[in-house]
Amino acid sequence: MTTAAPSPDQPPRSGQDIGRPSPADGVQVGGGAGGPHHARGGLGFWLTAAGGWAVIAYGLWGVIHHRLDTRPANLAKFAVGGALIHDLVFAPLVLLAGVLVSRATPERARGIVQAALIVSGSLVLFSYSLVRGYGHALHNPSSLPHNYTANLAIVLAAVWVIAAVAVIVRLHRT
Amino acid sequence: MPVRESVAGPVGRLRRYGTDDDAPLRQGPYRSPLRDERLAAILGASLGVLFTVCFLTGLYSHLHQHPVAWLPVPARPVGLYRVTQGVHVACGIASLPVLVAKLWLVWPRFLSFPPVKRISHLVERIGLFPLVAGGIFMVFSGIANIAQWYPWRFAFPAAHFWMAWVTMGALVAHVGAKWAITRRSLRRAGRPALVEADLTLGAVAEAPHAGLSRRGLLGAVAAAAAALTVTTVGQTLGPLRRLALLAPRDPQTGPQGHPVNRSAANAGVVEAAESPDYRLIVEGLVAKPLIFRRADLLALPAYEARLPIACVEGWSYSARWRGVRVRDLLTMAGAMPGATLHVHSLEANSPYRISYLNDAQAHDRDTLLATHLDGQPLALDHGYPARLIGPGRPGVNQTKWVTKLVVA
Repeated sequence: MTTAAPSPDQPPRSGQDIGRPSPADGVQVGGGAGGPHHARGGLGFWLTAAGGWAVIAYGLWGVIHHRLDTRPANLAKFAVGGALIHDLVFAPLVLLAGVLVSRATPERARGIVQAALIVSGSLVLFSYSLVRGYGHALHNPSSLPHNYTANLAIVLAAVWVIAAVAVIVRLHRT
Repeated sequence: MPVRESVAGPVGRLRRYGTDDDAPLRQGPYRSPLRDERLAAILGASLGVLFTVCFLTGLYSHLHQHPVAWLPVPARPVGLYRVTQGVHVACGIASLPVLVAKLWLVWPRFLSFPPVKRISHLVERIGLFPLVAGGIFMVFSGIANIAQWYPWRFAFPAAHFWMAWVTMGALVAHVGAKWAITRRSLRRAGRPALVEADLTLGAVAEAPHAGLSRRGLLGAVAAAAAALTVTTVGQTLGPLRRLALLAPRDPQTGPQGHPVNRSAANAGVVEAAESPDYRLIVEGLVAKPLIFRRADLLALPAYEARLPIACVEGWSYSARWRGVRVRDLLTMAGAMPGATLHVHSLEANSPYRISYLNDAQAHDRDTLLATHLDGQPLALDHGYPARLIGPGRPGVNQTKWVTKLVVA
């Protein structure tokens, strides 16, 4: 993980401000059927759209047809709810956290801290239900056999020790 | 065309937070140098591969649990299901950080203004809903299921299976919509990338900045996927068992040193399994129906096989099983050749109380009605008095507490 420190022999930059897109970025350069950012209704677009939506329709048919098992209303609550929670709550919070982290961390440690947070966040998301013991079954000695709180702490500690070493190495080098 | 016109008033203030779908990912307030088309393409392609592997291995698992006559599953190789399902769960877990990163990268697109520019744009954007909702649902429900956490009322296998079609359909449509930009982005392998402006991609050079570089972000996502894999895959991969700190099962913890998905107590079979009235019945399309007590079973010629139990939830272990060959029982009963065998459990209220053996599986020399595990009589939790164990099958189909074999 490096933060792209420019070496002196790199060619000079074209001087654009990375903070804001220049008008040229938005220009359609691809030409033909496709613009640079998404297809504009070429044959391939419509074929895959038709095929894809046929498969989606098959899946939705299955959900309805097997409604005693799939409980469509309950399933919709989780499927739609998951997307809404992500787009309206989780993603904005992550964006906000990103802003705070970039302001609160010293420049030379920033990339490493960000990487360690990405790894830690993934581990926490995955093991949340294990730590809370939601799936623990009584009368089953093999159900959730570990102390997941302690184990998550061990794994996170390992991540941050590696991050700390990386920061020290970087400070030492520069 | 300017990316953003200045509009006064509250609408204008709101639109400052919107984005332009035809402009690069990095816009306005979301100007992280990491919001880059090439990075989006790499993460998207990785996710596409992971989801496709999950889909195919999932179909294979579904075929085991819901057999169809025109495509019989093979009985061998012995460890095939252990591998496909281990890969299914491992890829599902590894896709968590990739999915989150990909969604983070493209999230500003969610605020595109105007929301729709063309018919094709409308079709593409509508298709994002099943893609995002399906992707999140598949990863969330899969991870909850392996932890046996069920905060919902639907049956997990059915919902996970049908939503997989929805997600994969949306993925096909999305790949079609993004094919050109993805190909252009990925083709530039080895570009002097980080220092050159690239107007075709809509990406500018990554100027020096503090914080993660694009490569750093990819590395961090890969490290997150690796950390999740290393701390869980030991539930099926023996040599990494001691590192599996976050795995929901340990292949050496449980009755007789092996885990079970459902204990006898939770299946409600303790009394029936321990009862002296226990009988094993072989019936259906047979010349001579048979009835055995456990002692009768123990008196029959026994065989031993080293076979894995591979749970759909991604854990597995290998053990020595001893018992009667199912094919011997079928021969004794004079079963009709080529028939399907239905294996019934004492367990009353489980969708898995009956499993099926096709002809190849029923006649495999290692398909046993096991009475012993690692040289010891089966523990109740492992299926005492007798359980089915055969090569290359999902754990849920290795029916425990077997009471009836029906040739149909």
